[in-house]
Amino acid sequence: MKKKRASFLTHIFAIFWVLFFLLPVLYVVFSAFKSRSELFQHIPTFFPRDWTLDNFKRLIDNPYFMTYEWIRNSFIVAIASTVVAVVINTMSGYALAKFRFKGDTIILIVILSTIMLPLEVIMVPIARIIRTLGLYNTLWALIIPPAATPAGIFLMRQFLLTIPDDLIESARIDGASEWRIFRSIIVPNAKPAIATIAIFSFMWRWNDYVWPLIAIRSPSRYTLQLGISTLSGEYTTDWAALLAISTISMIPMLVVFLIFQRNFVQGVAETGMKG
Amino acid sequence: MAKKEQSFKSYIFRQKAVPYVFLSPNMLIFGLFIITPAIMGVYFSFTNFRGLGDQPQWIGMQNYVNLFTDPDLFGAILNTIYLVAVTLPIVFFFSLLLAIILVQPLRGRPIIRATYYWPVMISFLVVGLIWRWILRDSMGYFNGLLDTLGIGRIETLLNPRFAWWSVVFVFTWSRAGYYMVMFMAALLSIPSQLYEAAEIDGANRWQRFLHVTYPSLRPARLMIFILAGMEIFKIYPLVESFTRGGPNYATEFAVRYIYETAFSYRQIGLASAMSVVMIAIVMIFTLGNLALAKRRGAI
Repeated sequence: MKKKRASFLTHIFAIFWVLFFLLPVLYVVFSAFKSRSELFQHIPTFFPRDWTLDNFKRLIDNPYFMTYEWIRNSFIVAIASTVVAVVINTMSGYALAKFRFKGDTIILIVILSTIMLPLEVIMVPIARIIRTLGLYNTLWALIIPPAATPAGIFLMRQFLLTIPDDLIESARIDGASEWRIFRSIIVPNAKPAIATIAIFSFMWRWNDYVWPLIAIRSPSRYTLQLGISTLSGEYTTDWAALLAISTISMIPMLVVFLIFQRNFVQGVAETGMKG
Repeated sequence: MAKKEQSFKSYIFRQKAVPYVFLSPNMLIFGLFIITPAIMGVYFSFTNFRGLGDQPQWIGMQNYVNLFTDPDLFGAILNTIYLVAVTLPIVFFFSLLLAIILVQPLRGRPIIRATYYWPVMISFLVVGLIWRWILRDSMGYFNGLLDTLGIGRIETLLNPRFAWWSVVFVFTWSRAGYYMVMFMAALLSIPSQLYEAAEIDGANRWQRFLHVTYPSLRPARLMIFILAGMEIFKIYPLVESFTRGGPNYATEFAVRYIYETAFSYRQIGLASAMSVVMIAIVMIFTLGNLALAKRRGAI
């Protein structure tokens, strides 16, 4: 059977929204390659007339912008936190999917209800706790606490429910330790869910603003997002630097997106992945 | 014999401990960074705590009284509620529209889907900057465009009303792709027999949408409604880089106000009271929607 194509008009309509989502981003990226005079001309053009790397050079030359450190910190935080997230969310998902124990329903309810306590709303006491625990102004504060995500646990639980119990039982009869069962049966079988948690976690941590804001003080420990926010001051905004650094900050996301596009779409579709 | 029994007992004990051990890292983090702060927040809200080196003093309901009598404080909460009331339906129907476009047999569908989704990958902070750069007063691309078209420049982000609606627009731009994907999954799971039956009954496009598609989306609709609503309630980094709450507090929403109150003005007690009220509002919103759906038999 031949598949019918959508009408020409539908295609036009679809392409209209493609431009709607794409052009604003492209305009900013192109602006990052414009010279100072072009950035502030009376009627801006979409494309740069003379492409220049001045704005990017500015990020390197001016010691006020610790661009290199910020990028490095962002990578450290995003990668480390993702590793932690994968390990602990898989463990919790396993416990909730494959064990019956006292309080299991309550724990599941607690996990789901933490979704209703958004970090943004309770950031004041969280900032106190971070200080009390001695995590203030360390990258640990950006790595460990955000790694526990209710959505990650829930996704893993739902996924592991589909693994047959017999697999685990027979390993147990063979005398395998619980940790060994986890490592050699659960983890290999959970790979698709692990991939989903990993790429979402990487995106969330890379784009995080609120955790760094309440936990970090020294500019040398800023993440890229926090660095960006300090560049846009209340009265003066260093647009030349901002456009360049914003463009840089989108590159890792673009790479991750191009590679894992399918996982992102499936992750959202299946669980509504939510930080 | 006795020894064997004992080791069996300890085996049972260990078996019972296993799930708790597996759960412990997560539970520790939740306990320390979500549950404890929530309880602390409730306590702070009854004190005049001003942060570092200060002893919190119990002042009873004073913060809450201030919250509900001071028009500025309450204004930020009301403004947030308005924002949710306006933005939620727009995001909801726009993402549904995009999902409907994408389930059509389009040429190059994967690329189209990817571009619709792409803004979701950009941080709220950068999204705010992107649109500030475009809508920036007098010299932005938007005003340049109006000028070229002969419409003449307008006051953009310096106009309170324009700024407020821009927040609605920018939020929608940045998050529609996300909810679109959830709608798509739901649309694709509707059995095609339902459409065939409707077609045989002579239902036109619109009738099919109204009587087949829309009702079938019920569970997805509920989830999207709640998730998107919660996301708008806690809007913050986006406005921080886009409008900074201005002009004249027009885009001052609850979370930004809580942050400013706590960290710039050091009124942690008052900020905590606002947090408690916001949590209560989010809970009423979420549980209320769930309860309503349950009564209608949707879940």
